[in-house]
Amino acid sequence: MQDLPRPVPRGDRDTAPFWEAQREHRLTFQRCSNCNEVRYPVGPMCPECRSFEFEWIESSGRGTVYSFTVVRHQTHPAFAVPYTVALVEMEEGPRLIAELKGDGAASPEIGTAVKVEWVDHPKQPLPVFVPDQEQS
Amino acid sequence: MTIRNKAAIVGIGQTEFSKNSGRSTHRMALEAILGALDDAGLEPAEIDGMVKMGANDDVFEIDLLRSLGLDNLRFFAEIPHGGGAACGTIAGAVAAVTAGMADVVVTFRALNERSERRFGESTVGGGIGGWMQYNMPHGLVTPAQWIAMYAQRYLHEYGHTTEEFGRVSVLTRKHAATNPHAMMYERPVTLEEHQSSRWITEPLRLLDCCLDTDGACATVVVSAEKAKSLKGTPAYIAAAAQGTGTRSEMMTSYQRKNIARLEEAETTGKELYRVAEIEPKDIDVAEIYDHFTPMVLMALEAYGFAKPGEAPKLFQNGALELDGEMPLNTHGGHLGEGYLHGFGHIVEGVRQIRGTAVNQASNVKTCLVTSGTGVPTSGIILSQEAY
Ligand SMILES: [Zn+2]
Repeated sequence: MQDLPRPVPRGDRDTAPFWEAQREHRLTFQRCSNCNEVRYPVGPMCPECRSFEFEWIESSGRGTVYSFTVVRHQTHPAFAVPYTVALVEMEEGPRLIAELKGDGAASPEIGTAVKVEWVDHPKQPLPVFVPDQEQS
Repeated sequence: MTIRNKAAIVGIGQTEFSKNSGRSTHRMALEAILGALDDAGLEPAEIDGMVKMGANDDVFEIDLLRSLGLDNLRFFAEIPHGGGAACGTIAGAVAAVTAGMADVVVTFRALNERSERRFGESTVGGGIGGWMQYNMPHGLVTPAQWIAMYAQRYLHEYGHTTEEFGRVSVLTRKHAATNPHAMMYERPVTLEEHQSSRWITEPLRLLDCCLDTDGACATVVVSAEKAKSLKGTPAYIAAAAQGTGTRSEMMTSYQRKNIARLEEAETTGKELYRVAEIEPKDIDVAEIYDHFTPMVLMALEAYGFAKPGEAPKLFQNGALELDGEMPLNTHGGHLGEGYLHGFGHIVEGVRQIRGTAVNQASNVKTCLVTSGTGVPTSGIILSQEAY
């Protein structure tokens, strides 16, 4: 666990529930109550049908690596290099940024199946991705 | 009705580019503006409009108004989204002078980005809002890291290697090497040097990233009618446009269908060509925003000079060399001359149109200048004649 100050999400009247759910280790997305479109990042209106009505759904936590970077030049004291950040395309559609951990994290491949695990940082628990043996 | 050739850049000014200017951005902005006014043959008191770039700038038009002793600005505006704003300041100036809301509009950028506030450094601590709340807590905290996601996907989509990024670096540094104003004057690099430079954030190496620079640039924009009476050789603005893409964020538009393409550059390009009534093949020289090498490849594709994934060929076949079909970043760009967030590209575009650049391309009648990519962006097409 890292004790150095990571940037933490401030949360606003739209996004606070997204971050509150993550404090309970639940990855959630909004789903439009009118047309069922899953939307992310969090926002007040469905861009497909312009409805304000939505519900929170829980993600399966599974996805595949869509892109990634292995950070090797340190610019922030909370993030010791090297580390890998992946852009993961989730089963529900949204692409999520999170650290990639576990086997192969130093030289990932696009298309790799991954699943969510949780890291309890002091102020805000965050999802990370690890290889998903079941899916691949 | 369009704005085609209804306005012109009649003056350009520039300080030296360095690692440490030794003076304030406020002072450098004034130096660049006085240079641009002198170039145009205008007096400071004639300024009645200003357009500035938004992010990471602490010089405001009211600071300049006070220093220049101006009584009133009839028009002032600030264009958002970092480097995407550079040509947007020209677009704003064109809108003002063609609508009669101002007669003499100054645009500028002044930075002590190397000696004071480095753009590539991340902010420590604090609560994060907006689109960055989804990225920064996970360690994606700098422009290079945000852009790396696009770059990695570009390599994947088209099966390229990082050598293709390296060729952008080599060509740009070659042009900087013969530009005495460039921070990398007489310092060309080879493809081998690119490939052996250290990783910053894979797939980006040190030589894929632009320089941090101290310096300032300014332009003066007036109507084409007024330009006729001034001593400065006008670069007519055949088109000026801003553009966005689907699901736009600043640097992290990762939800759009394909992140190996630059939607905002595609939309900006379409609008520029529509307004200028020309096609990509009619562009004689191009000054393309080069904060990171992969984005130059994607921008060349977005502005119609190559099919998706095929921009690397332009570097392999010499098309972008000074004696090629369409010379690219003739001043040495952000990678070699210095990083004034796209303003050096505008100033160089004007010089190419005037025929006064140190690396002058031959027979230049039109020049495309583009601004930051991976963000809502902007571009201009400059023309020697008001056709
Ligand atoms: Zn809907």
